[in-house]
Amino acid sequence: MEDRRIGVYVCNCGTNIAKVVDCDAVSDFAKKLPGVAVARSYKYMCSNPGQEMIIQDIRELSLDRVVVAACSPRMHEPTFRKALQTAGINPYFLEMANIREQCSWVHDDARAATDKALALAHAAVRRVVHHEPLEKRFVDMCPATLVLGGGIAGLTAALELSDAGQPVFLVEKDDHLGGNLARVDLTAPYLDSARDMLADRIRRVLESPKIEVLLRSTLQSLSGFVGNFRAEIRVGADGARTVDVGSVLVATGFREFDARRIEHYGYGRLPNVVTSFELERMLREGRILTRGGRVPKYFAMIHCVGSRNPEYHGYCSRVCCMTALKYGHEIKSALPGAYVYDLYIDMHAFGKGCEDFYRRTAEMKTMFLMYAKGTTPEIVPSGPDDDCEMLIKVHEVLSGEEIEVPADLVVLMVGMEAREDAADVAHLVSISQDKDGWFIESHPKLDPVATTTEGVFIAGTCQAPKGIPGSVAQAEAAAARILGKISRGKIEVDAVFAEVDETRCSGCRMCNELCPYAAIEYDAATKRSRVISAVCKACGCCVAACPSGAIQGRHFTDRQIFSQIEGVLEWASSQG
Amino acid sequence: MPEKKLQIALYWGAACGGCDVAVLDTNEFVIGVGFLVDIRLWPIAADGKYRDVEAMADGELDCTLFHGAIRNSENEHLAKLLRRKSKVLVALGSCAHLGGIPGLANQVTKQEILERVYLDNPSIEAGNRVVPLPSTRVDAGELEIPRFYRRVYRLDDVVPVDYYVPGCPPAPEQVKAALQALVNGTLPPARSVIGASNRTVCDDCRRRKEEKKVTRFHRPWEILQDPDRCLMEQGILCAGSATRSGCGVRCPDSGMPCRGCYGPAPNVIDQGAKFVSAVSSIVDSKDPREIERILGDIPDILGYAYRFGLPASLLQRSIR
Amino acid sequence: MGFEPRIVGFLCNWCSYTGADLAGTARIHYAPNVRVIRVMCSARVDPTFVVKALAEGADGVLICGCHPGDCHYSEGNYKAMRRFPLLGRLLRDYGIEEDRVRLEWVSASEGKRFAEIVDDMTERVRRLGPSRVKTLLEADRVER
Ligand SMILES: Cc1cc2nc3c(=O)[nH]c(=O)nc-3n(C[C@H](O)[C@H](O)[C@H](O)COP(=O)(O)OP(=O)(O)OC[C@H]3O[C@@H](n4cnc5c(N)ncnc54)[C@H](O)[C@@H]3O)c2cc1C
Ligand code: SF4
Ligand code: SF4
Ligand code: SF4
Ligand code: SF4
Ligand code: FES
Repeated sequence: MEDRRIGVYVCNCGTNIAKVVDCDAVSDFAKKLPGVAVARSYKYMCSNPGQEMIIQDIRELSLDRVVVAACSPRMHEPTFRKALQTAGINPYFLEMANIREQCSWVHDDARAATDKALALAHAAVRRVVHHEPLEKRFVDMCPATLVLGGGIAGLTAALELSDAGQPVFLVEKDDHLGGNLARVDLTAPYLDSARDMLADRIRRVLESPKIEVLLRSTLQSLSGFVGNFRAEIRVGADGARTVDVGSVLVATGFREFDARRIEHYGYGRLPNVVTSFELERMLREGRILTRGGRVPKYFAMIHCVGSRNPEYHGYCSRVCCMTALKYGHEIKSALPGAYVYDLYIDMHAFGKGCEDFYRRTAEMKTMFLMYAKGTTPEIVPSGPDDDCEMLIKVHEVLSGEEIEVPADLVVLMVGMEAREDAADVAHLVSISQDKDGWFIESHPKLDPVATTTEGVFIAGTCQAPKGIPGSVAQAEAAAARILGKISRGKIEVDAVFAEVDETRCSGCRMCNELCPYAAIEYDAATKRSRVISAVCKACGCCVAACPSGAIQGRHFTDRQIFSQIEGVLEWASSQG
Repeated sequence: MPEKKLQIALYWGAACGGCDVAVLDTNEFVIGVGFLVDIRLWPIAADGKYRDVEAMADGELDCTLFHGAIRNSENEHLAKLLRRKSKVLVALGSCAHLGGIPGLANQVTKQEILERVYLDNPSIEAGNRVVPLPSTRVDAGELEIPRFYRRVYRLDDVVPVDYYVPGCPPAPEQVKAALQALVNGTLPPARSVIGASNRTVCDDCRRRKEEKKVTRFHRPWEILQDPDRCLMEQGILCAGSATRSGCGVRCPDSGMPCRGCYGPAPNVIDQGAKFVSAVSSIVDSKDPREIERILGDIPDILGYAYRFGLPASLLQRSIR
Repeated sequence: MGFEPRIVGFLCNWCSYTGADLAGTARIHYAPNVRVIRVMCSARVDPTFVVKALAEGADGVLICGCHPGDCHYSEGNYKAMRRFPLLGRLLRDYGIEEDRVRLEWVSASEGKRFAEIVDDMTERVRRLGPSRVKTLLEADRVER
C-alpha cells in the first residue's frame, strides 16, 4: 500500500477553480503526501492535452493510482476513467476531488476554499491508495420474455417481440385475452371499434408459434436476475409451469373505481345509476334501456367519479372525459331524440384529435355543466309529475346558478385505480409502487418503461392511467428495450457491487430483507448469504448493516471510506 | 515431559475474578498443566510477591495471562512489569481485551465515581465520608495507595499485547486450548485473537433464523420465547450477530440473549455502532414516529451496545 | 481567527450530492466547513462512519439523502432514517450534543436547501464550540 505511485492532477478549469482556489498550493501540498509520485496543476484537465498529460505520466512514471481534483465526478469521472484505461491501468484506480461545484463555485474566501480543496484532495489521495482493480463482467441473456397481462399493452408487446423472432410467455389471469378494452365499445376520439382492434391482435397472438398463451394463470415466484430469470407460474386450478426468461414485462392494467364508495351517488341502490363500463356493455349489445325496460330519454354523465378528489384518488384518470364525450356521440346516433348532459369539473381534452372531438360533441348539443372541484352533484328521485327517473342538482360554476336537470340514466365516469393485487405483483418482481399503487418507472421522463429492477419493464395502465395510444406506445417501447438487450446477447454486470465473504458470513440473516432488489439469497444448507452480483445495484445498505463485517461494497469499502474520513480530518488538524 | 518447565504468571487488573475461575474450571487440565509449568505468580490461587516478580530477569517468564482492565496505577505498573518479564503477554477475558464490565465506568467521570462511592453512598456513616487520597502522611511515614485513573483502559492501551483470549469469562475450553497451544508451542501469529472464530455467535447458534423484521422490542422476561427461534426475530435484543463466536453460544442456549462479551467480528472496528446499525436495519417501519417508538423500547443503548467494550470503542468514553 | 467547525458530510450520490453540485452550478454560496464524502445511498452510512468521524476530530457530521419515497434505491433513505434515532441516543449517552450530528433530506433540485442546511449546521456547531472528543482522548493518553 505504501509504495503506491499516485499522480495528482489539479484542474484550474480556466479560472473557474483557480480564481478562488490556489491550485498550485493544492498540487504542492499533494506532492508531499506519502505515495504521491507526481502532482500537477493544469488549465483544463478534461481537455485532450490534459488527458494526454495524465496518460503520458501513467506510462512514463508508472503511476498506479490517479487523483483528479476538478469538477464533480458526476461530470467527468467517465472521461478520466477512460484516460486511465487508455494508459493501460484499471479505470477504477481513479478518485476525484470535487473542488469546483462543491468548492470554488460556492465559496468566495480564497483561503477557506483552498483549505477545503486541500482537505478534499488529501482525502482522495488517502482513499485511492485502497482502490482495487475492478472488472466488468458479462452474463448470457436468455431471449425469452415473460409478459404479465393480456390487455392491449401485453398483447402489443408480445406481438412486437414475437415478430422479431423471440419467444414469449403471455400469462393472463382471466380466461380470455383483451383486458379492460374487451369491455369497451367504440373508442375516442376517432370512434373506431375496440372489438376490431383487439380481435386482430388476439388472433395474431394465438396464431404465433413464438407466443405461448397461458390463460387463468398467475406468477407465483420470480428468481434470478436480468437475462436469467426463472418464473414459477400457476396455470389454471392446479397446473404449474417453470419457465426461464431474460426479461419480464408487467402489463397488468387497472381496475375501475368502485362507485359504491361514493355513497350519495346511490350506485348499487338507485337502479338507473350505472357505471361507464355498464353503459359500454349496453352500447356493445346495442340495447340501451333503463332497469324498468324503458328507452331512456335523458342521460347524465358525471365526470371524475373517484378521480381528482383527495378523498378517493387525487389523480386524473385521463380517459374518462373523452369517454364521456364519446357517449354523447354514441347515444345521439343510437337515440337521436335523447338529451345528454355532461357534468364535469374541467374538460381534459389533451391528446391528438381530442380538442376537435370536444368541439364536435358540443356541436351535437351535448349540454355541458361545470361543477366545482370538491363538490358533487346531487341525485334525487323525481316527483310524480316529472317525465324522468331522477333529477340531478348541480351548482353550475360558469353561470353561478343552481341547476336541476332530468335524468333517466346516470352514468358515473369511474376512474382507474391500481389493481387489488398490484402490491403482490410488485413484490414478486421487485418493483415499487407510488402512493396511489401504480408501478414506478425508472425515470418519469427519461426512462419511462424500465424499472429500478433491471430486466423488469412496465407498460400500459399498471404504470398510471392512460388511454390506448399511450399503452401501446409503452408496450412497443418496452419491447424495443427488451429486443435491444436480446440482440446484444450478453448482459454487462457493473463492476461495482456488494460481495459476501463466505468465510465471514455468520448466516445471521440480518441482511436478507434489506435489499431493495432482493439481490441477497440465503442458502439454508450452508447457512450463508450471498449477493447475486448482477442484481445488486451497490446501494450499500447491506454492507452497512452486516454485523459480521462480511459484506464488502466494492469501490465503497469501509477501508476506503474510513481513509476519506481520516483524510478530510487529519489534514485539518495538522493545520491547527 | 519437557526438560524445562514453562514459567508462567496469572495476574489480574480491574476484574471480578471470573477469569481465574474459568482457568480453574479447566479442572484436571489445569492440574495436569501444573506438571508442565511453573506458576510463578497467581494472586488468587498461589502465593507470590511483587518483589519476586521484580527480581526476575527480563523475559524470564514464558507467558503472563493478564486479565482485568487498567483502572489504576497499580494495574498499569504490574502490566508493564509483567510485560517486561514475559516473552508472551496474553490479554485474558473481556476486561483485558476490551475493557469489560469495569469499562462501563467510562460513562461517568472519575470525580462522579469517587463522590458516589465515598461521599454519597447511603451506607457510609456520617463522619466517615472521606475520599481516600493517593498518599497520606502517618506517623510511620508516607502511605501510598494506587492512583485511581480518569477512566478505564484496555491492557493494550498501556502495553503491547501478544494474544487476546476474549470472553466474560473466556470459555474454559478456549482457555484450555490457549494453554495447550502455549505448552505445545503452536501459538498463531502474534497479536491475533485466539479461542474465537472469524464469524459471529449466530453462526454457532442453533436457533432457527428466518425473516428478520421487528416491530417491537421486549426485555427477555416480558414474553414467552420460542426456544428454537432466533431471539432477535422475537424482538429480544441479542448481540450475537455483532459478537465474535467462540463461547459455544452460552447465552442464547440458556434462553438469554448474547450480551457481546467476545467483542466485535474481526472486520468490525466498533462493535456497538455496528450493532446499532444491524438492529435498526431490521426495524419494520417507514414512519419516523413509529420507528422512534419501536426503538424507544430499547433501554440504555450505550450500555447495551458496549457492555463489554466501551474502552475499546472508537469514542472510548463519554465526553464530559 | 475564530473557531471554524470541521464537519464531515456524507451525501448520497443521486439526490443530495447532485443537489450540492447544483448549488455550485447556481453559484449559491455557503459556509466552507463541510467536507463531503460521496456514498451511493444514505443507506450506506454505517453508524460506524459517524463515530469514526467524531473520534477523528470532526466537530459535526451531516448525513444527507433523498427525500423519503425518492431514494434511487427506492427505500435506502428509510433505512438511514431507521438507523438515526438509535445512533442519536447512543451519541447522546456518549455526551455528544444533538446538534453535532444531523440527518437531512436534500433532493437533486434543492441546491438552495443544501446551502441553507450547511449554513445553519455550521452556525449551530460553531455555537457549541469545538468537539472535545479528540482532545480528551489525547489527554487520556498523556495523563491517565
Ligand atoms: C370505460 C372506459 C372506456 C375507455 N375508452 C377508451 C377510449 O375510448 N380510448 C382510449 O384510448 N382508451 C380508453 N380507455 C382506456 C383503455 O381501456 C386502457 O388504456 C387499456 O385498456 C389499457 O390496457 P392495459 O393492457 O394497460 O390494461 P388492461 O386492459 O387492464 O389489461 C390488463 C390485463 O392483465 C390481466 N392481469 C391483471 N393482473 C394480472 C396478473 N397478476 N397476472 C396475469 N394477468 C393479469 C388482466 O386480466 C387484463 O387482461 C377506456 C377505459 C375505460 C375505463
Ligand atoms: S448480515 Fe452478514 S453475516 Fe449476516 S447473513 Fe448477511 S452477510 Fe451473513
Ligand atoms: S448493496 Fe444494496 S443492492 Fe447490493 S445487495 Fe446490498 S442491499 Fe442489495
Ligand atoms: S441473534 Fe442471537 S439468538 Fe439470533 S441467531 Fe444470533 S445469537 Fe442466536
Ligand atoms: S453468548 Fe455472548 S455474552 Fe454470552 S458468553 Fe457468548 S459471547 Fe458472551
Ligand atoms: S440514493 Fe439518495 S438516499 Fe438512497
